[in-house]
Amino acid sequence: MMIYFTLNGDLVEWEADPSDTLLSVLRRHGMFGVKSGGCAKGECGACAVLLDKKPVNSCTLLAAQVTGHQVETIEAMGEHPEQGWKKTSGLHPIQQALVESGAIQCGYCTPAFALAARALIEKNQDPTEAEVRTAISGILCRCTGYLKPVQAILRAAAVMRGETVPPIMGTPETETQGWSVSMPPVGTLPESGLGLAETTSQTRVMPKIWTSQDAGERPRTQIGRPEVKVDAVKLVQGKPAFSADIEKRGMLVAKVLHSPLAHARIKSIDLSDARALPGVAAVLCYKDIPRVIYSTAGQSDPIPGPLDAFSLDRKVRFVGDRVAFVAAETAEIAEQALRLIKVEYEELPAILDSRESMLPGAVRIHDESEYVDFADSNPAKNVAAEIRIDIGDIEKGFAEADRIYEEEYTVPKVQQAHIEPHVVVTYWDEDDRLVIRTSTQVPFHARRILAPVLGLPVKRIRVIKPRIGGGFGGKQEVLIEDVAAHLTIATSRPVIYETSREEEFIAARSRHPMRVRMKTGVKLDGTITANAMYALSDTGAYGCHALTVTGNTGHKAMALYVGAGPYRLAPNIRFYADVVYTNTPPAGAFRGYGVPQGFWPLERQIEHIARDLGMDSIDFRMKNALRSGELHPFSTAWSEGREPRPEIVHTVGLEECVRQAKAAIGWDQKYPDIEWHVVPGKPHLRRGIGVATVMQGTAIPYLDMGGASIKMNDDGSFNLLVGATDLGTGSDTVLAQMAAEVLGVPVDDILVYSSDTDFTPFDKGAYASSTTYISGAAVVRAAEMAAERIKLRAARLINKLAAGPEVSEEDILLANKQASTRDGRFVTLEEIALNTLHHDDQEQIMGTGSYYSPVSPPPFAAQFAEVTVDVETGKVVVDRLVMAVDSGVIVNPITASGQIEGGLTQALGYAVCEEMVYDEKGRARETDLDDYHIFRADEMPALETIFVQTYEPSHPFGVKAVAEIPMDGVAPAVGNAILDACGAELLEIPATPERIWRALKKVTP
Amino acid sequence: MIKAYYRPKDLAEALEILSRTNGEYRPLGGGVTLSQMSAQTISVVDLQSLGLNSLTQEGQFLQIGATTTLASLANLDYIQPGLKSAIRLEANNNLRQQATVAGTLVSTGGRSTFGTVMLALDALLHWLPVDQEQGLGEWFTLRQAPSKALLINKVQIPLNVSLAFDTIGRTPDDLPVICAAVAKWPSGRARVTLGGFGAAPILALDAPESGGAEAAVRDALSRATDSWASAEYRQEAGARLVLRLMGQLQPV
Repeated sequence: MMIYFTLNGDLVEWEADPSDTLLSVLRRHGMFGVKSGGCAKGECGACAVLLDKKPVNSCTLLAAQVTGHQVETIEAMGEHPEQGWKKTSGLHPIQQALVESGAIQCGYCTPAFALAARALIEKNQDPTEAEVRTAISGILCRCTGYLKPVQAILRAAAVMRGETVPPIMGTPETETQGWSVSMPPVGTLPESGLGLAETTSQTRVMPKIWTSQDAGERPRTQIGRPEVKVDAVKLVQGKPAFSADIEKRGMLVAKVLHSPLAHARIKSIDLSDARALPGVAAVLCYKDIPRVIYSTAGQSDPIPGPLDAFSLDRKVRFVGDRVAFVAAETAEIAEQALRLIKVEYEELPAILDSRESMLPGAVRIHDESEYVDFADSNPAKNVAAEIRIDIGDIEKGFAEADRIYEEEYTVPKVQQAHIEPHVVVTYWDEDDRLVIRTSTQVPFHARRILAPVLGLPVKRIRVIKPRIGGGFGGKQEVLIEDVAAHLTIATSRPVIYETSREEEFIAARSRHPMRVRMKTGVKLDGTITANAMYALSDTGAYGCHALTVTGNTGHKAMALYVGAGPYRLAPNIRFYADVVYTNTPPAGAFRGYGVPQGFWPLERQIEHIARDLGMDSIDFRMKNALRSGELHPFSTAWSEGREPRPEIVHTVGLEECVRQAKAAIGWDQKYPDIEWHVVPGKPHLRRGIGVATVMQGTAIPYLDMGGASIKMNDDGSFNLLVGATDLGTGSDTVLAQMAAEVLGVPVDDILVYSSDTDFTPFDKGAYASSTTYISGAAVVRAAEMAAERIKLRAARLINKLAAGPEVSEEDILLANKQASTRDGRFVTLEEIALNTLHHDDQEQIMGTGSYYSPVSPPPFAAQFAEVTVDVETGKVVVDRLVMAVDSGVIVNPITASGQIEGGLTQALGYAVCEEMVYDEKGRARETDLDDYHIFRADEMPALETIFVQTYEPSHPFGVKAVAEIPMDGVAPAVGNAILDACGAELLEIPATPERIWRALKKVTP
Repeated sequence: MIKAYYRPKDLAEALEILSRTNGEYRPLGGGVTLSQMSAQTISVVDLQSLGLNSLTQEGQFLQIGATTTLASLANLDYIQPGLKSAIRLEANNNLRQQATVAGTLVSTGGRSTFGTVMLALDALLHWLPVDQEQGLGEWFTLRQAPSKALLINKVQIPLNVSLAFDTIGRTPDDLPVICAAVAKWPSGRARVTLGGFGAAPILALDAPESGGAEAAVRDALSRATDSWASAEYRQEAGARLVLRLMGQLQPV
């Protein structure tokens, strides 16, 4: 059928099938700014367009419905202001504000935000914050926490009204041992009352920055500046930057048949009807491809975990496991083919509760002969990994304690829920090399891991990582690349495989759920004498990241409190864990990587002990917490299955974090004030305030390596090639800032490209909070190598062209795109570039660098929460979150605070609403983003970020990690706030109304 | 799978297409539900050109055209705040621009806030071509249109009713694990409805006056256990909500 409508002002007449959604038709015609979140009910809004000036979801609209209407997409909203000789009107003010305000992280939902904002402001030029939040509430963002998009839209509205908005800020003028002058005014506190949280955002977007003397005495030109993200302009225009935004002639669509059973052998499988269906190009089952065992975990070689997976197997181990692959001309035909595959299963007993995995007589989930053990894995007992770490003498510590506290805590399985689903495109290039264009955090690991699976040498595989629409660890997995690759090998044609939102829930990865037992010995003065944790961790059907995630649970959380007095020097800590298989979807990497699972029990336990001892819980924490100059207690005991080496922790800004966050949230005024805890006129409501202190790591020592190369262009600009993968975090920008700092140029002159296994140097990928620290150090080395040559050539040029005393390269400074001497003579970088490339003694000025670290300097943070609890129903509303974080020197305060705000929001979901539940047959309760609720813009608490800058001496610019630590303390801070509000002792998250209500019933009046 | 799309220009044409027997024909409102890929082969009849999106106040009643969007209904100044709140929680802002009142009511499940409130208001569905009214409660119970009915052309709710609504979820915007609506007519008639579980919202009380509401709620929720909450919890929380809502009702 034909459809007719006005698209971005032009009448169009297109062919469409009655089943076509508007989304599919728009993308087919190149409107790649309209994104797919894979959802079936319009939950995510990434596909939003304006229909007759109103935001609607193009995935829940038939294309035929828009005949006679006006449709607007991001493609017509604005464009790059500089396009050679062509004059353009530039970006729309809303796009400009989104760019400048740091409102863009992965950028996948950005076009939808821009359109929704436009619809709002065209109707209402002076919207309130609540109206902005309502206007964008149909669009889910997993990266930003919505604060910066809201601020950007408020800024845009002000600009469009002709008002002056506060500047975003240049370089913060730091005051040593004090606040930067960039500190914005403090927002007003929210009004509690169990309604929607009334947040007060501002059009100023800079976070508070407190700077220690160490960090403040090294002034920089680029480090510390709120530079615009290097990819922001492209993303705000909805350019075809993501994996699926590509057209290949003859491209097939892949679909996967998933197991309906939790545990079964395939007795027979008949593909004949599916293969006979017109339009089907290939149908593959386990009989059709080589049987190669591997691990899907995207980690360095050797994989620190068991090899226990096949692309396709004769056995299925969870509901959602793979049974067959189909490639067809269209998605509809592929779906139809799936329904024609006949499978006869022999159902096996299933283990759905991790407490049953190791019981005698339990069914064995991995009985394949090819299974390859790692360390203490034992498939005969359904054990994927076993961890036994003893530091000091735990029994002696307990014997010396005045009191011993024991409790068991539970943390749930949760989903990364990146808005861009997993997506991959594969094709043979003209050299018969397999190209894999994929949304991955680990392009180099993917190439290495896939090679044996596909029967290709590494050198015949090229992995291209375009922009990533969020990953959060979910794409630190070689999850779907093999599906498309096998089908390309089978058909010799390009194949695209995009997972649906349901597949994300039933067949992708998740955070390991754990049951954690704590046992803590303390003296009456608050000295911890011994602290033990046992974690029963559920890895699901496969052991990807089993050892390392769970190891981190102890390695980070249990390292924070070493004890006081003599125990500080010789702490007694035990961390034991069993990581077991069950017949549930596999767990894997998820931002925080095991650490949030550790801090829920630890910080709830600490709060309980402090209260029982009658101590101020913050004093109790600080008395026992790790301090600067002390040995990381786990560094001599465990290193992910490799040899541990001692590490001194040089920078600990935790006490300052506590001081700053306490002041920001008004702890001293609220916590002791009985009146503050009641809500006038609402006797069923109680307010509470809670705290958690946390630490993370920064990269994996002696393992994580990043590489960078940099070359100078004719105009004095530089190409920076990095293997590091920016998954929306802003790492490309931060790396560009580091290169710019060394080379004395603006960030605009650093053109970042990442990543492509053919062109960019190796990098382990985006995980373990390592990119700024590891890849950044590699960039600095590469830039320094280039700078050395620039200085040498500059000295030669100055000596040749300018009168004055002879200079050498040691006399040259690089700044403002110039190479200068102290007496004021200079040549521009463009002159140097032209000279070296074309004029004299020609050479390509370039540098390479790589870096791995002998240490993993931990960031520290204090996280506070305010809640209101309905003590009759258990309903809780989180009103406010404040986080002060010591992440070393902050390279870009806007992108870094965006990381904090987004992390706080994900962690808030972990605290109160996110959970994956299975029925007695192992079938998922959550298969969409309605049941699996993630926070929307119009229900957010107030968020506040404070940076406490220390100077980490192991990095050239003093940085530590920032991206993962926000995940760690929100849940326990919320749990502690609930305790403060009403006395309910929660042992399990999420803190659902019924769990709180049940805990309240146990409170003695 | 949708094999054919029709956009009739008037009701007669729509009814003619929907009455065809050579396959399955379904009325298409906003498209939120029917646009999704399905194994079933159907034809859809888009109602957008029929002028069924009007909002008309007739005496003490509001006549809501079937294809009125949730956003349009929520934007009315004079509807009860509880109804606005329920609409806001029913669908996100984008979907509210698309989803129609009738389409939402006929496809909704037990966790529907909108359905719960409309049930409390004793909404009436008007079916064509039979020209017959059906209570929303009957629709929820039977999920069956009156005999020979093909489509809803309007939904009627009273405006002279005091309404209070509240919900409990994990977050302010979350689907409810329990929600309750209380409506009270000038005559004293009271209706109490509950949602957050099951296949459809349920009516706990419809009586000349509101006495016994707490007992009715506890009774109605006595078996309301699912993976989201226990009946024990829902009984307690539901009773608390309803008692509070009773106190919030404004005189009509």
